[in-house]
Amino acid sequence: MKEDQIYKDRRYKINELRAKHEKMTARERVKMAINFEEPDRIPIDNWMVPEIKKRCMNYWGCESEEELLAFLGVDVRDNYGPSYVGQSFKEFDDGTVADLWGVRRKVVTYGKGTPHEGIFKEVAWSPLEHMTTVEEINAYQGWPSPDWWDYSKMREECAYWHPEYFVLNKGDRLDRTAQLKPMMYLRGIEQTFIDLARNPKIVECIRDRIVNYFVEYNPKVFEAGGDEIDMFMMGDDMGGQRGPLISVEMWRRYFSDAFRKYCDITHKYGLKVMYHTCGDVYKLIPDFIENGLDCLQSLQPQATNMDIKRLKQEFGKDLSFQGGMDIQQILPLGTPEDVRKMVKYAADNAKKDGGYIFGTAHNIQADTPMENVAALFEGYHEYGVY
Amino acid sequence: MSTLKTLSEYVEQGKGTEAKSLAQKLLGENISPDTIIKEGIVTGLDAIGDKFAAFEAFVPELMVAALAAQEALEVLRPKMTHGTLHKTLGTVVIGTVEGDVHDVGKNIVAMMMEGGGFNVIDLGVDVPMAKFIKEVKYQEADILALSALYTPTRLAMKDTIQALIDEGIRGNIKVMVGGAPIDQAFCDLIGADGYAPDAPQAVKLAKRLMQ
Repeated sequence: MKEDQIYKDRRYKINELRAKHEKMTARERVKMAINFEEPDRIPIDNWMVPEIKKRCMNYWGCESEEELLAFLGVDVRDNYGPSYVGQSFKEFDDGTVADLWGVRRKVVTYGKGTPHEGIFKEVAWSPLEHMTTVEEINAYQGWPSPDWWDYSKMREECAYWHPEYFVLNKGDRLDRTAQLKPMMYLRGIEQTFIDLARNPKIVECIRDRIVNYFVEYNPKVFEAGGDEIDMFMMGDDMGGQRGPLISVEMWRRYFSDAFRKYCDITHKYGLKVMYHTCGDVYKLIPDFIENGLDCLQSLQPQATNMDIKRLKQEFGKDLSFQGGMDIQQILPLGTPEDVRKMVKYAADNAKKDGGYIFGTAHNIQADTPMENVAALFEGYHEYGVY
Repeated sequence: MSTLKTLSEYVEQGKGTEAKSLAQKLLGENISPDTIIKEGIVTGLDAIGDKFAAFEAFVPELMVAALAAQEALEVLRPKMTHGTLHKTLGTVVIGTVEGDVHDVGKNIVAMMMEGGGFNVIDLGVDVPMAKFIKEVKYQEADILALSALYTPTRLAMKDTIQALIDEGIRGNIKVMVGGAPIDQAFCDLIGADGYAPDAPQAVKLAKRLMQ
């Protein structure tokens, strides 16, 4: 940590609040929360784009990401799973690079020349997009194998954070356990929606290939990590800004079986399941619970029906929550006071009986002013106390 | 008239092949493309739009209905461009702003607008500001429709509106904005003329802006 006075002054409030309120390790804190007990304060998870991470490090005088997370009192540490040792990802002349599924991605820069400039890796080519039959899809050569991973270092990597921190195995964003998302990458988003309405056999075929992969891969991950993994996270976006992307009936028809399977496998290893989805999934929540979900992640407050107060009241006995901080309006466009109000609202309405972890509804984006990021973390430590 | 109703049902149910061949048949019966669009295609799209608003239909159903409308329009298009009877509701230049490559929402909006009777020029994704300005001028567009998925990329919408002002053409064109991080407050903040939360409402908004 840099010790110049300016950084010390900036760190003062968070340090003071933490010294006053914290009475247990981060790991103990999160474990209590997900088991519906009240710890010393609401645990904190952190999602940020790299550009914001860098800005935070500069602002608070942290010399590494590890230092930043430790200073901010972030309780959860991410584990991205085993190391990839399969064939190297092919690079193409057009600058695209193939990923695990053979989907080609390219780097897209936004906000060129502005203070909020950053990059996203976007899908540039979907290998199954123009296929028209199940046979063609089955003949695709790019289906991944769980053998493409070296699981041997996982345990050690997770153990690095213990006993202090809570380790969440979440995989890489592109390899995260899911059903619809890889389908969209492989087939293209539009074609996937068309398939869902018109081509059930193609949907089932692609889904089964994806599910079979994760059903084989995840047990290897859990065995490798052993009790050094504290929780598992899968993620599949099922919500839009104003409602689920697909009907509840369609979710049940295509996705509920494997959702349950993913949860069952995880529970067999004594782990709880966190599930990330953006958007309004209110109507799907009873099905998530029925199929084994323990913790719902994101709670995008700008989406309809995702008000944390209501979700806690209606589902808080069966489901714990992580998220709820708005990255679409309040963090980028609001004032620090708006940010504090948002944190207080979530804390006041979700902390009772545990079952809540602070977090943003997705990565804090590069257009967020630093004073709002500071207000967010100061708010966490101020209002999260039990 | 009953066959026009059937066409609207095919569109609503996303039956593209059926919609296409029925549109062909109706043309053969000397029904004008205008009538086929208004009483067949638009009626079908309105119906699925209403269901979408009522949560009785979702993105897949909306997508295939828009696709079916497009498929029917393919048959009508040659007659539309050559006929004197046909008049579009207006010209819309649409695209996803620079730095953003997400186009699913934008594509559904474009398809439904086209089905709804607009002449739609889709510039695609990651569209530089200068290209929007050039096309708006060249096409003598009535509406510029801008889409973005991310909060940082949506800032390009504001710059595009400023560019329209700098070019002295802001008064000649309506600007509508949409995408996940957009709401009415953001629309007002950047001085756009309208915001719609989904494709069916975007078509309604475009019609309103043309009045």
